[in-house]
Amino acid sequence: MTEKNELPVIRPAAGDACQSESRSGLFQHAIDSFVEFCRSRSMFILHYCTGCGAIELPPAMTSRFDMERLGISPMVTPRQADILLITGYVSIKTLKRIILTYEQMQGPKYVIGICSCTVNGGMYWQSYATAKQLNEYLPVDMYIAGCMPRPEAVLEGLMQLRDKIESGAATSWEDYFKRYDHYLGKQQHLFGKDWHTPTDVIEEARHYNLLGEGTLGENTAVLEKYLRHHQELDLTRVALEPAKTNLPDR
Amino acid sequence: MNVDWKILLVELILMPIVAFVVGLLLVLLMRKVRARIERRVGPPFMQPLYDIIKLYGKKTQISHGFIMDLGVIMVVGGYIAAEVFLPVPGMDGMAREGDLITLIYLMMVPSLGLALGVGQCANPNGSIGIARALTSMLAYDIPFVIVVAGAVILYGTSNLTEIIAIQQAGGLSSWGVAMMPLLAIGGLISSYAMLGKEPFELYIAPAEIATGPMVEMSGKYLGALFVMQCFQVYAVSVLYVTLFLGGGENWFTFLLKIAAVIFVSASVTTIFPRYKTEDAIRWLWKWPTGISLLGLAIVMAK
Repeated sequence: MTEKNELPVIRPAAGDACQSESRSGLFQHAIDSFVEFCRSRSMFILHYCTGCGAIELPPAMTSRFDMERLGISPMVTPRQADILLITGYVSIKTLKRIILTYEQMQGPKYVIGICSCTVNGGMYWQSYATAKQLNEYLPVDMYIAGCMPRPEAVLEGLMQLRDKIESGAATSWEDYFKRYDHYLGKQQHLFGKDWHTPTDVIEEARHYNLLGEGTLGENTAVLEKYLRHHQELDLTRVALEPAKTNLPDR
Repeated sequence: MNVDWKILLVELILMPIVAFVVGLLLVLLMRKVRARIERRVGPPFMQPLYDIIKLYGKKTQISHGFIMDLGVIMVVGGYIAAEVFLPVPGMDGMAREGDLITLIYLMMVPSLGLALGVGQCANPNGSIGIARALTSMLAYDIPFVIVVAGAVILYGTSNLTEIIAIQQAGGLSSWGVAMMPLLAIGGLISSYAMLGKEPFELYIAPAEIATGPMVEMSGKYLGALFVMQCFQVYAVSVLYVTLFLGGGENWFTFLLKIAAVIFVSASVTTIFPRYKTEDAIRWLWKWPTGISLLGLAIVMAK
């Protein structure tokens, strides 16, 4: 694993090194708990709705149950969202997209599995094409069981997650970095050994001080050959040589 | 030019803060009005602030490069610069030195900054969004500039503090909305378009191009854009109040007037679907521009 250390560090956005729990001062503690409070009161949801549970979300958002009074609002891109809401069965093809989406989200991020299909496969238990347990492939913060759960249950689950975030207990997103080898192994078991994503999770874990015991292992060693090393762009060469394009001549 | 530098310095710091706080309230008002029209309860009182603090408190962060950082700084900085040219009760800031024309220039800076920053994300949705944003700027700026020209001709000055003084000296009948009602209508429509709200939401379009320019913005970048939204709502409403509703005599009437402008705009936007880009341009160049030109002709004939 030594050769991985030669990778250039991804340039950080200014001042964003992940502070761990070492902040002890009273003032810092007050600020941290206030930020946790704000986190719990403002949750942007990215709903990944391929299953039938999606039908229970519109009532939870609109006038009958109105999620917005709890500070929960839908967002449309993984970059902006805090919660990945997965409604219903996860086929193997779908799971690839869910993992790509999850890795693009910015931490702290939370995953909620809705419907019994995400818990144990549900009525698709015998299907060859579905992933049975979501938490084998992604760290899941909360399951809302039911086939399908009613909007009250969805809101109840979201409120439990809110309390969990407020108390600072919802840290399972760090688990994905700290035990990446485990999750990657499960993913490779399903998708084959050539499975890899554009996000360099190991490098991110290193950058944000989230490298754990289980980040690197035998499964992540397979990723070596897919790593593309960052190179400085030689601007002089680009400027002098005419750009080669694949466009047809007009 | 006698400028008391100490007072000016205090005002330069205080005015953007006031703009931010009032902007938060206006954003809350917009969300509340929308919720009530949809028969929902709506967000709690501090929700806009929670959103911004949460976004700034994100622990991981994706930067797409220096130009994107610079673009976001331009977006927020352009509006902060614009706020000090907008007089509020008791504080004139730079409004005596700069005028309406300076303000129009500064209010275009954020759109250009966004274009610069989003260009580096290499996300096709972002590029489409920014192309649409600049196109819609082209569409709403024509009626807006006609409205501003009409106001300058009517009041005989482009200085915002003098415009307010003229309106407040003459009472209700000398307000812009009474003196040039057609221009007031044109200005109201182009201010909707400037806010990027529903009929002219073509560059946000969440269901179509995934919020356009904001598509790659995460954490602090999105937080900066939320801050920008507060400034934007404030700037547009205060400019409208200054030109047409006699500015603020005191803080109470000032806040009441800008809240009324945003209330009307939020109520209208909630019930409309979105125009296509070409339809929005056609509509904006036909109706608000036509109404404003007629208003301009009436003002010039007086």
